[in-house]
Amino acid sequence: MLKLNKKISVFAAIAIAFATSAVAGEKDVKVKAPKVRAIDAATEYKVEKGVYAGIYKVNTQTSKIKKFGYGKKATPDEIKVNDIDVRYDWQGLPDGKGTPAKGEELYTKNCVMCHGEFGAGGKGYPVLAGGQGSLKNQLIDPSSGDEPPVKTIGSYWPYASTLFWYVKTGMPFPHPMSLTNDDVYSIVAYLLSLNDIQVGGEDLDDDTVLDKKKLMTVVMPNVNGFYPDVNAKNGAQNVKKFLSNGKNYGTPMVRCMKNCKPGKVIRIKHTLDEGIKPPLSEKRDLPKVKAGGAADNKYAKLFEANCKACHGNKAIAPVPGDKEAWAPRIKEGKDTLYKHALKGFQGMPPKGGTNLPDADIKGIVDYMVSKSK
Amino acid sequence: MKQNTNNTTADRRGFLKNVAASVVAAGALVPAGLSAKDDPALMKEPEWGKKLGRPVDANLYGMPSPYEHNVQRRVHELLSSGDMYASVAMCPIQDLDGIITPNGLFFNRAHGGVAIVDPNEYRLIIHGLVEKPLVLTLDQLKRYPSESRIHFIECPANGSTGWRAPQFDTLQFIKGMMSQAEWTGVKLSTLLKDVGVKPTAKWVLAEGSDDSHMGRTIPIEKIMDDAMLVWAQNGEALRPEQGYPVRLLVPGWEGNLNVKWLKRLEFGDKPWHAKEETSKYTMLTPTGKAVQFFWPMEVNSVITSPCPDKPWTDLKKGDIVEIQGLAWSGEGTIKGVDISFDGGKNWTEANLKGLVLPKAWTRFSYIYKWDGKPIILSSRAYDDAGFVQPTITQEVSKMGVEGIYHRNAIVSWEVKANGEVHNVQVRDYKKEKEAIEKMQKGAKDA
Repeated sequence: MLKLNKKISVFAAIAIAFATSAVAGEKDVKVKAPKVRAIDAATEYKVEKGVYAGIYKVNTQTSKIKKFGYGKKATPDEIKVNDIDVRYDWQGLPDGKGTPAKGEELYTKNCVMCHGEFGAGGKGYPVLAGGQGSLKNQLIDPSSGDEPPVKTIGSYWPYASTLFWYVKTGMPFPHPMSLTNDDVYSIVAYLLSLNDIQVGGEDLDDDTVLDKKKLMTVVMPNVNGFYPDVNAKNGAQNVKKFLSNGKNYGTPMVRCMKNCKPGKVIRIKHTLDEGIKPPLSEKRDLPKVKAGGAADNKYAKLFEANCKACHGNKAIAPVPGDKEAWAPRIKEGKDTLYKHALKGFQGMPPKGGTNLPDADIKGIVDYMVSKSK
Repeated sequence: MKQNTNNTTADRRGFLKNVAASVVAAGALVPAGLSAKDDPALMKEPEWGKKLGRPVDANLYGMPSPYEHNVQRRVHELLSSGDMYASVAMCPIQDLDGIITPNGLFFNRAHGGVAIVDPNEYRLIIHGLVEKPLVLTLDQLKRYPSESRIHFIECPANGSTGWRAPQFDTLQFIKGMMSQAEWTGVKLSTLLKDVGVKPTAKWVLAEGSDDSHMGRTIPIEKIMDDAMLVWAQNGEALRPEQGYPVRLLVPGWEGNLNVKWLKRLEFGDKPWHAKEETSKYTMLTPTGKAVQFFWPMEVNSVITSPCPDKPWTDLKKGDIVEIQGLAWSGEGTIKGVDISFDGGKNWTEANLKGLVLPKAWTRFSYIYKWDGKPIILSSRAYDDAGFVQPTITQEVSKMGVEGIYHRNAIVSWEVKANGEVHNVQVRDYKKEKEAIEKMQKGAKDA
């Protein structure tokens, strides 16, 4: 064994290390497992004599205190407003109703730009429909032409409650919590119909009304596709049992030390390194400062905050970057542009109606000109 | 003595004068009058020694040296869900020393952007199967007796680009979806004394207040064991990227369960089946069935020096060099790390060094004399829960290649004769395919 023996010097130990290529002795070494496991199969640590896990000291006074009494009691209304989840047994599902037809309308307005027509996905956003029958696919060799599994609402999700909860509290992505419950019912109805999922044993037609009672009858096709069973009475114990045996997920509990057979060396064929931003670098140098970098940034921000309402719309005022619109103006010279900006010109009030110092107005003009050359 | 000092100073001045003159005159690589053995960097007064430095009030919140600007988080379009709001910025673990990640470099995974929460408007609400539903302000929460613990947080998708084959040649993208900090907050078992959890409560929903309203279910056993509500990392307030002002800390468990911008805890008798424990964060296996509620991050390790980013190109044949890396387990404490020089055929024990803490990054080290020949370097950790880091083929033969999450197989580096280091995998595709096909067939027959 190569653990540094305190009795021999470090240099001697190094010499031994250089001379040895593998641990002598048995081929497989069993690793000691704990007698008691925590809920996740981990070693369970206790506080003993005021020390946690044999390392962290703890203030033992804390455990003797029965109550601290901080905060206030939550009111029923506070709980009602904030309790926004929908559990798999439908606890928390609000009242409401909608139709696939109305859902399609809402989908076209709020969802299609990311999730594609008919939930087909795109631009990296999740596919929402299809994929049934693909879950056993394993694309170990991309050159084989095999298809990977497609995990969608219809092919993968075990519960429709999650769909309602997800749309209600997480969508539309840029402004969640903006849909009414009826809107959510409609979008859910549309997405279920896209996945050919029946409600109460019947297909969802465009005008089928989906309400609370009907939604609660939906059983998803892949409801039995997950393990261990956590919904059982002591479900967490099922997870513990599963995790306690490494064989369940390909984790050995012995160390092979000699003549192991891990396989062949596989090198990178297709690298993804080019897509890394910013590009990789281990150089220790000074950062390159772009010409006018910091200043440019300042005036870009001032422009955004003070000028863009008009100068972001061609119909109202010349937009930075519009070379054609700016060319004749630039030709008049900076002094004229400064004067117009400071004193006002045609429809624009002095300083564009702001209280910015003259220097900032000039800086913004410079920024707009530099963007438009 | 005084005489002696003066002489030395005089000699030095004269010498520097000569050097300065010769540098100007010659302009050559080795100026005249300077021996080739002299390091020019040492033969002149450096610029920063001849003028005042920055005033002490220049950066009242300090920044790293500008020369270290390349040490930063990095992103990749393929690791996002179409944008930079539901995405991840990877931690440059190749550039870290010790076991603590500076707050500005801590990996950043968000599902709806990084929320900037107003601490004055912050409230935590606790309800459900409890005697007294409770509302706490941030100040009230921080009144509870605090504890500090050092734990890693790792996204279970860390290393997921390697299921089929190696695709990145940088440690930052091979294992950078994790970081470690000293977290300070209150243990939930302490705080919940004010709530009174009913015996019927078996599960807790933790929910964030951000755009994604991230919800995850945690069993009561974990809540009462070592879970915490934390408000500080490495001595300062949580960064927005880590959930300012308060996040849940479930030591050793999937990063996603450590809910950021925490707003609500609901106690219930059943698990919830949130979007991130059904549609995502479940592992599809070759049988077509998926593993759910796989909470802990398994035993793992990686050699950080050398690595593709930190090669041995400056080493000569026969040089002595320290091989070191990180080992961690969400299921306990690292017991040991083995390393291999032949791609995992034969293994030898490395040494652990520094703090060896539960559910925490642990450094390992091995002093090696490199003979200049190509080697395949691998590390393999084991923990006090009895688990050993698997080979790629051991893991894939059970889990397949479509599980996305919880990939903790052995990482290997190819060190070439010129000292370059590249990411490689040592695996037996044939064996893996046979095992997968067998599982698929069994599932069909069943």
